[in-house]
Parts: sequence; C-alpha cells; structure tokens
Amino acid sequence: MTPTSFRFLKALCVGVSALMVVAACGNNPTTTSTNLAADQTLRFPLLDDFGTLDPAIADAETDQEISQNMFNGVVKFDNNLNVVPDIASKMPVVSSDNLTYTFSLRHDVTFSNGDKVTSKDVLYSWNRAAAMSGAYGTSYGTNLAAIVGYGTASSNKAVGAALEKLLEANDPSVVMSGLTAPDDYTVKVQLAFPAGWFLSAISLTGSTGQLVDVNAVKQDFDNWWTNPATAIGTGPYKMTSRVPKASVDFASVSNWWGSPKPTITKVHLDIINDASTAITKYEQGGYDIYGYGGYSNAPVADVLRIQGTPSEKSQLLIHAKVRTTWLSFNMVSDNKRLAKGPFTLDGGQSAHDLRLAFALAIDKKKLATVVCSDVVCEAATGGLITKGLIGYLGDGADPLGAYDPAKAKSLLTGADPTGSKTKGLTYVYDPSNPLNKPTAEFLQSQWKDNLGVSVELQAVSHSAFIKSRLKGDYVLSRDGWQADYNHPQDWFDNLWGSALGCPDSSCTTGYHTQAYDDLVKKADQETGDAALADYKKLSQMLIDDVVYIPLFYSRGSFLFKPYVKGAGTNNFVDYPWAGIQILSH
Amino acid sequence: MLTRGTLIYISQRLVLIVFTVLAVSSAVFLGIHRLPGDALFNEHLHGVEYQNILHHYGLDLPLWQQYTNFLSGMFLHGDLGEPFVNRGVKIAPLVLREATVSAEVGLFALLFTVGLGMLLGVVAAVRQNTWVDYVLSTTSVIGYSMPSFVIATFLLLFFAIWLDNVTQGGFYFQIGWTGTYGTIGEIWLPAFALGFPYASIVARLTRASMLEVIRQDYIRTARAKGLRETVIMVRHALRNALIPVITILGPLVIGIITGGVIIENIFGIPGLGKEFATSILNRDYNIVIGVFTMYAALIGIANLGVDLLYVVIDPRIRY
Repeated sequence: MTPTSFRFLKALCVGVSALMVVAACGNNPTTTSTNLAADQTLRFPLLDDFGTLDPAIADAETDQEISQNMFNGVVKFDNNLNVVPDIASKMPVVSSDNLTYTFSLRHDVTFSNGDKVTSKDVLYSWNRAAAMSGAYGTSYGTNLAAIVGYGTASSNKAVGAALEKLLEANDPSVVMSGLTAPDDYTVKVQLAFPAGWFLSAISLTGSTGQLVDVNAVKQDFDNWWTNPATAIGTGPYKMTSRVPKASVDFASVSNWWGSPKPTITKVHLDIINDASTAITKYEQGGYDIYGYGGYSNAPVADVLRIQGTPSEKSQLLIHAKVRTTWLSFNMVSDNKRLAKGPFTLDGGQSAHDLRLAFALAIDKKKLATVVCSDVVCEAATGGLITKGLIGYLGDGADPLGAYDPAKAKSLLTGADPTGSKTKGLTYVYDPSNPLNKPTAEFLQSQWKDNLGVSVELQAVSHSAFIKSRLKGDYVLSRDGWQADYNHPQDWFDNLWGSALGCPDSSCTTGYHTQAYDDLVKKADQETGDAALADYKKLSQMLIDDVVYIPLFYSRGSFLFKPYVKGAGTNNFVDYPWAGIQILSH
Repeated sequence: MLTRGTLIYISQRLVLIVFTVLAVSSAVFLGIHRLPGDALFNEHLHGVEYQNILHHYGLDLPLWQQYTNFLSGMFLHGDLGEPFVNRGVKIAPLVLREATVSAEVGLFALLFTVGLGMLLGVVAAVRQNTWVDYVLSTTSVIGYSMPSFVIATFLLLFFAIWLDNVTQGGFYFQIGWTGTYGTIGEIWLPAFALGFPYASIVARLTRASMLEVIRQDYIRTARAKGLRETVIMVRHALRNALIPVITILGPLVIGIITGGVIIENIFGIPGLGKEFATSILNRDYNIVIGVFTMYAALIGIANLGVDLLYVVIDPRIRY
C-alpha cells in the first residue's frame, strides 16, 4: 500500500468515527420555566415488563403502579393514603352491624371506549375477580373474601371463555350472593362477617376492586388487556401500543370524567433491566423520571453519586416505602417443622431471654448506615409496621429496636451459661435483594462482637428460601413484609396465628397463641380507633414474646427532572400521571 | 454455486440443527425443573393460591407429562407457551423478535469484527515493523485481552457520561434504544463493544496471514508484472489471507451471539441476551427454554452460514 492510500484510509477512519459520534449524539437543554412544554410526553423506564394489567389477577407492584392510571374502583386511596370515593359519589353507607355497605355511584363515569359505567359493571368486575381467584391462583382475590358467597365463587374451576359464559349468565357458581345492584347506580355489599379492613382492601390500587368493561373482556377473556383495542378501563390513560419486554405507550383519554384532567398527553415506558443504565439515560435527558412504576430501589452507589452531584441532588427524592425487614426465630418445635433451635416458646423464660439477647445485640442504626448508607433504608425502631402507615408505634417505641449490648450479654449468660444452646446456629437469607447479604454479614459480626456467639450464614435462592421458611425449616431467617394497603390488618392475620395456618402451614415462626388468635379476630372485625388500639396490642404481644428482631424500613429513591411538576410518591404508590405536568425547558 | 451436493449438505445440516434444538431444549427443560425455587412462589402467593396457579399452568402434572406437552406444543404448533411472570405474551414470537434484535446488533458487531479487524491487520502487515504496526498490534493485544463488558463500560463512561458532562449535554451517546430496533446512532457503540475483542483477533490473524502471503512468489510476480500495489493487496494477497480468517469466523460468531447477553444488558437493548439474563433470574421456566432453544437455532444457522462462506471464498472447497 502506498503512503497516499494509507493516509486516505486514515482520514476515512477518522471521518467515519466522527460522523458516528455526531450521529449518536443528542441534545440536552436544561433551562426551566413555569410555562407548559408543547410536548407533554412523560418518559420513564421500567426495570421489567409488567406481569398483567388485568385487575383480577394483577399482583406485582409494577402491575398496580401502571394500572392505577387505567382503572378505577368504587373507592381509592388518595395521595395521603386516606380512603376516598373514586367512582362512588360519596363514601358508602355502612349498617350499624358493619355488615352492609351501600355504594352510590357517579352517573358520569365512562370507560375509555365510551361505555357508561353502572352498578352492573361493579358486580361483573368483582364477581369475575372472585371467580378467577380460585382457578387462576391470584394473590388478591381474598380482598373480596368478606363478601357473602365469595367461597362459592372462588371455588369454581372454570377458566377463559367458559368462565365468561358463566359470568354473563349470572350463574350461581361464579356469583357472590352478597353482591347486589338495587338500581343502575347503587351497589349493595353484604359481608359474611364484619371486616374493618374491607374498604382498604377494595381500594388497593390496580387490583381486584377495580372495574373492567365486560364488552372488552369478553373479546379475549385472558388477554384482553394485552391489546390496546380492548385494554379498556375507566382511568385517565389508555394503552396505545405495546412491544412486550421492550416498550409500552399510553395516551390520555379525551374528555375523561374525573379530575384532575390529565395534562400529560402521552406516556412512553421503556423496559430496561439494568437500573444503572436507566439512571444514566435519565441523567442524559432520555427520561423525565426514574423510580416510577415500582422501581424505586436504585443501586446505593448511584444514589450516593447523585447526592454528591450538586446539579442533580435536588432532583433526588428519598421516600419511605412500605416494607419492613426483620429477623424471625423458629418458635415452635414439632414434628412437621424441620427447625428446632433454642428459641422456641416451649423453652420458656430462658428461650425468651435468648431471643431478647439476640435482638438487643444488634445496633439497628449502625445497620442502616453500614448496609444502606442511611439512604435506601432506615433503622426499624418503631415497631413492625413501617413508618408512615396506620399502626406505626412511633420512633424508638419498639424495645426490640433498641441496642443494649451489655444487657444482651447478661441475658445470654443467664440463659445459656455454657454456650451449648447457641452453638451451631445458622442464619438463612435470600441474596436476591442486594441488601440481604450485607445485612446477614452485619448480624453475624454483631452477634460475634457483642455476644461472642458464632452464627453461620447460608444463602438460598429466593423462592426456595420462602418455601422452606414458610415450612418452618429455619431457626434464624431473614423475614419481612411489604404491605398491600394502609391497614394494620395486613400485618397480623397473614403473618402469625392460627388463622394463617400456624404452626405448621405457611408460617415462618410457628407463632400462635390463643390470646393472639382471639385478638386478631376481634381487631379484624372492628373499625376506627377500636381496631387501631387492638392492632397496637397485637404489636405489643409480638414485642413481649420477642417474636422478631426489627432491622430496617425500606426507602425508595426517585429522580425527577426540574421541569416535571406534580410527580411524587406516597409510601405505597406513585402519584398518578394525571397530576403531572411537563414545564417548558 | 448451489450444486446438488451443496443442497444435500444444507439439508443434512438443517436436520442436524433441528436435532440440536431438540436436544438443547430437552436438556434445559429437564435441568431447569431440577433447580430449587420457581417463578410463582412468593411471600404474597403461597398456600392454596400457589397450588391453584400451579394447576393453572399445568405445573402440578408429572414431569414426563409436562415434557410431552412441551414437545407437542413446540413441534406441532410452534408454541413455546407463555411466561409465568409476564402473562399474556406468547414466547415463540417474543423470542423470535428478540432474536432479530440481537441479530441486528450481532451483524453490526460482525461488521466491526471483520471490517475493522481486517483493516487493522492489513495495515499492520503492510507497514510491518513501523510505528503504525506497533500501535495497531498493541491495540489488538489490548482488545483481545479485555472482555467485551469491560470495553463496554469504558466506552459508556467516555461517550455517554464524560462526553455528556464535558459538552454540557451538547454531544453524547444516548444510551438505550428508542424503538424495537436500533438506529445507526444507537447501535454503533454496543456493536463496537461487542465486536472489538474479536476484531483484535481477526487483526492479528490477518496480519500474520498477510505477512505470509505477501512473501509468496506469485505476489512478487504480480509486482514484476507492474500491477498497482492496491490491486496486488486486495485481489491477490487479501483473498488468500482471508481463508484462515473465515476458519475462525464460526467460533467468533458464536462468541458474538453469546457475548450479546452482557452487552444487551449494559446498553439496555431489548434483545435475546437481555431476556436470557432476566428469565433465568426470574426462574421463568417457559421463557428460559424458549431463549435457549432460540440460541441453539441461531448458533446452528450461523455456523452453517459460515461453512457456506468457504465455498464463496475458496473455489477449491465443494460440499
């Protein structure tokens, strides 16, 4: 090759490279003003596609976050987590025995295809959700379990078009007899037993209490929500296109009946699996928001970096979410539970002191610093129920959240003077959550340093871990709960006690006492202050028996561009898209 | 070119690919069902509800029955089922679409691998023992010493973050794709990251091969005949130097296909590689099987394509 041709090649390479860089580059203006931008398109990433947008079977956080913008229920949680009317014109009239709820519906509600919403739609949607809970195996069908006839509807096994036929024919096998419609705009709900949690349960965002349109559903019973033409709801947004596992688009519904009227006209979601990649794209201006759609668990390193970047720090919102992480002991020793250990209730005061020693030996505040950098979680010192929710005991109110290594050591010495009881213990955790491994290592070091007890660590994959844990296979294990709705009932009857199946079915600790069972039953039937007082007594019962060691409350990390107005979050869900505006920038 | 022998050869290979796909999908089917845990069991869904959903998906059937259902679905209906995590999505069209996305990235990466690799190799050979040769050879060593995900990270740091900061958002590489398929502006960097390590291998191979060829008598004869240097290099030297390169193209193509798993996750590309990672993490049996099946088919077809290239490059080769 001659020198001339080589120079030409070199120039060509440089030229092509420069062209590619220029072609790939974008523009990212940053100025803001208070005027609305001409383009009201909201863009944000999801870290995985949603599971389903069918309210009858939706159970993932992402499903609910997205579908809250497409569907409505008769009542809902507002941004402050109060139950307020949604398509109901007012809060229901409740009978004095708390067994009958009468809902009056608004007359102006329509589905996005123009179909008017009447009481028949409520009946169809709730019966459908109840009927699907059995055959489809759904998590939230039981939100309707208090309604008379739920047991019948949920035990049917029909699926797909066959179930649709039964529903349209009002077949008794799929219809809850306690659900009636005296007229087009009144729904009467007869409960089988008083349930103080009923309104909270049917307010659960994007879930079984939401309304679907029979005319859309019957076109494809199982997959109607996948097709933009039939993904019909009453919400302010409708799906316009979807490429599974790649992207999905929504548009505002013109002349939507509710308020506030949506300003955002289009919503574009990309499915990007890597959180750091999504954050980088946000920082480049590719997204307006990060953390929406149930993906506020940003990597700690990214959050710390953004906190340290003056130009981005103000875009970061750290907000308490609804998950408490704690440690569970095995508290029952019987033939059906593999785990035995020194912490069981039949060990009496000695076992109690051992549990308390293990609890007091952990510095929860240091745990939040070491594991979460005081960013993505905070020390759990106010009881089982996460800070900000009904039933939270108050900062520092949980004695199990205290750190007292001297007392811990003293208790251990009294309960296990030879060290034989605490020999060979293993703490089991699932490493799928990146916080769980450092938490396990922190616990191990605290017990070693403050008690002189060596505890082995064992990592088990998530679903296998949960399966074994609920069977009672572990003496010490990572535990926790993410609340479904803002009601303390969601923290007690499904985690401990005979009603759940304890000691031998779906019960991590095995914990159940007659007093606990009786009080759970009573509290679940009560409403208002009476219920709250009893739920707090239940909290105290768990504390007195040292059933758990509180570790931390999770926080979510969100990023909002300065030109995005009205976006935010409460402990449970994102603020709806309808309240968001894009300012010119 | 498509002689009867070649057609028979292609048919035999296609049959072999079908058997390979069957073997891979069966092995994955049986293997993944032995893994602890599944996609459905969680803190909110257990007990009776869990049993109900197992029944709904036929996961409570004996394994042999699930396997025969799977086989009949795949071969009789081309149906790989639906994911457990993302309902309402048919796996066969999903992985097919994702495979085409990955193929797009892979083809661009292959362009870099072959185009850039050969260019660097030829230039290094022609300028042997000059600073140009040293620079290119060093670059090649660096290229094949670093895994593609390390290169991708450095490229992202430079083009997506540093350039964005330095130019105050004026010029930078916009990470992620805006549509199902990528534009040139979106694809060049991931393709480069994926292809560069292999381009380095091709460069070294091309250089060695070229150095051997340009010392041959027929090259000297061509020069003596007064042919232009460009013609000698391209028509006489490069074509003969290509054969060893084509030989390693098969493994390189497989490397590019499998390398896409990491690159697609780093760059947020909605391809088969991204699916591979998420489906395994989700324990989503059906989609894991679908992804592996598609990979097996892709690799089989890519290898067949490379083998057919021999015929084009070297007229002496006949099937």
